[in-house]
Amino acid sequence: MNTHFKTYHPYASPFDPCTPILEKTYSTPPHLYMGFQPPNLPQFTPLEALRAGTLWKDFYDPWYNSLEKAKGGLPT
Amino acid sequence: MKQVPEEYYQIMEQLQAMDFVLVELTLYLDTHPDDLEAINQFNHYVKERKHIKKMFESQFGPLQQFGNSYSGYPWNWKDAPWPWQV
Repeated sequence: MNTHFKTYHPYASPFDPCTPILEKTYSTPPHLYMGFQPPNLPQFTPLEALRAGTLWKDFYDPWYNSLEKAKGGLPT
Repeated sequence: MKQVPEEYYQIMEQLQAMDFVLVELTLYLDTHPDDLEAINQFNHYVKERKHIKKMFESQFGPLQQFGNSYSGYPWNWKDAPWPWQV
């Protein structure tokens, strides 16, 4: 599962019209942590790669919004 | 107008998968020119793609024009279905 989620905490003013969202998460792409791509990384099969959007498993970076996560959105 | 057979979609998906892998490998090889493993894989998929294209065109007519595909008889590259109609 993609563990490159980071969080930040927006400022919540006492005069906010709605209940403030205290913590926001965002996903950082895996290639930030890889630098120059090493050779012979594990790959998807062509059909999987077409669905996944990348040929190499390490670069697979699905994003599921909270609704999909609730439905158990797992990477294919 | 008769529908295209189910096989049309299967072969087309194979072709798209091959094209995607070739695009990925091309971009990878641009920055890794001496990766022999990837070059062998690239050439393998070029051969594979040619085979799939030949298989597709023998059944469903030319995919491209201006010499990129053989033509059937009569001149049939303009026949339906077009890619956006499929």
